[in-house]
Amino acid sequence: MKVPPVLRLVVRNFVANLDPITLLVMFGQPAFLIVILGTMFNQLIGTVGASGSYIAFLVPGMIASQMITGAVLAGRVFWLDRRWAMVEQIFSGPYLRAEYLAALLLTALLFSLVGVGIMVLVALPLVGIPGLTPVELGVILGTIALGSLFFGGLLIAIGGRIRSANLYFTIQSLLQYFLIFISTVYYPVSGKTPAVLRAIVYANPLTYAANTVRDAFTHRFGPGDLVAGAILASLAAVAFGLAVASFRTLELGPVQ
Amino acid sequence: MDPILSSARDEEAGALAATGSSREVILRVERLGYAYLPGRFAIRNLEFEVGRGEVFGLLGRNGAGKTTTVRVLTTLLPPTEGTAILFGKDLRRCGRSERARLGVVLQAESLDFVSVERNLTLYAFLWGVPREVAKSRAEEMLELFELGEVRGRKPWGLSGGERRRFQVARELMHEMELLFLDEPTVGLDALTRKRILEYLARRARHGLSIIFTTHILQEADLLCHRIGVLQNGRLRAHGPPAEIKRKYRGARTVEAEFERALTAPEQHDLLAVLTREGRGFVPAAVDDSSIVFRADNAEDLVAAISRWAHGLDLEVERISVREATLEEAFVNLVTDDASSDPAGRAELA
Repeated sequence: MKVPPVLRLVVRNFVANLDPITLLVMFGQPAFLIVILGTMFNQLIGTVGASGSYIAFLVPGMIASQMITGAVLAGRVFWLDRRWAMVEQIFSGPYLRAEYLAALLLTALLFSLVGVGIMVLVALPLVGIPGLTPVELGVILGTIALGSLFFGGLLIAIGGRIRSANLYFTIQSLLQYFLIFISTVYYPVSGKTPAVLRAIVYANPLTYAANTVRDAFTHRFGPGDLVAGAILASLAAVAFGLAVASFRTLELGPVQ
Repeated sequence: MDPILSSARDEEAGALAATGSSREVILRVERLGYAYLPGRFAIRNLEFEVGRGEVFGLLGRNGAGKTTTVRVLTTLLPPTEGTAILFGKDLRRCGRSERARLGVVLQAESLDFVSVERNLTLYAFLWGVPREVAKSRAEEMLELFELGEVRGRKPWGLSGGERRRFQVARELMHEMELLFLDEPTVGLDALTRKRILEYLARRARHGLSIIFTTHILQEADLLCHRIGVLQNGRLRAHGPPAEIKRKYRGARTVEAEFERALTAPEQHDLLAVLTREGRGFVPAAVDDSSIVFRADNAEDLVAAISRWAHGLDLEVERISVREATLEEAFVNLVTDDASSDPAGRAELA
């Protein structure tokens, strides 16, 4: 059977480059947070909006944040490919740059979905099985897909312009923590939240993703979520455009 | 020089020359240039051809433009002037289907974070090689490149020589018509080099064309049907190694041995004859019954020695002219260029 080039690259991305320890840390950390943070804060916090318990509030947020985990892993594959000259090796073979980029984004998406699966499995004993309708499930997966495309595209665009591993991983960590912590993944935004912080939180695409996933979990999906989805889709399109531009002018050759 | 390898190469070079117009050209480079900044050329005005089953060596000092040439010809860099016709198609329009017929071993090490064996089969998978074929080919490559013992190790845990062998082995996992090898034997010991060169020569005899860059000129002399010498981004000379050696051999070494010891006046007289008739004459060693010297017109001086000895009724027991090596020709060529072209790379702009 002839495997299409993009899928060949995706398989290769999964098989190569990523060691089990990295995967364990990347997926283990949010799972650990659900268990420890969720359990501990559950004792302190009574109810959080429509979610009920804090842990029920946290789980959809952590699921939404998997779009970042997937994108970070794909960005890491891209950077390691640059560092170890595999980008050049692949580009000198029977592949198009567009296919390599598509494979990276697909890798980000698949990693995100793997992360979602792991978070759901970890959360099951703590919050039970959420009774999601097919539409709500579709909304969650669609949101994760758009988020992966946005953050993956952004990291690939940045990774294509930088020639130093130190700088790339510093920027990536900074973005990752900034986006996760200044969002509604861990805590809600209310009228008591300082205005500046509230503005930053609402400028963060992860907030839209977390709120949408949370609304789907609490069966409160509405027009506001459609707007959030449209904003996320627009941002994903912009990030994709940036990644394409970065790839078009990608300077091959040694990086530090 | 390995006699088997070089004689096979020479036979093929003769055959390639004899076929003349029927020779199938798979790469024709036409006034090719690449500027890394406007007006700053890394290579310029390159012109050469590579036929099917031909091994073409690109020689040059560090920074001469060998790697840039490989990167342009493998479509990793776009030419900024001129072009090349690869498999009958303009290089600027070459895409997946042309690249699928290439093999490329770049100078920079490339690897995936899995074992040596898995790297081989994974790379074959990327090239669409069927699984069973990939498995058997991996075994063949592991044996050929003496990587069997390290098959389970990650490539970064290998020695420098093993990593280089791994790079070449991995590229040979798929079928190709034109193989680019950018300094494939750097860091390899003599025996391993010989083994790899023999394998490549064998593949070339079965129709694989190879473009090969190296600093080890003896390798080029052994393997290449034709070579090109790059200097400051320009192709200063190209042709069969024998022709390059003949054209740029410069001074050659002559050794003469006489039937008896020469007297001091005879030695003095002989040196006077050689100094008068020799171009670039430099005596290397003179003793009672022999003389070793270097001169540009070695053949003329061989005749002069014979005449001189005949006049004294002295028999010359042995006289020989040592053929120039490719290394000597290369040094003459790049030294001449360096002195006649002091502007170097700037002149290209």
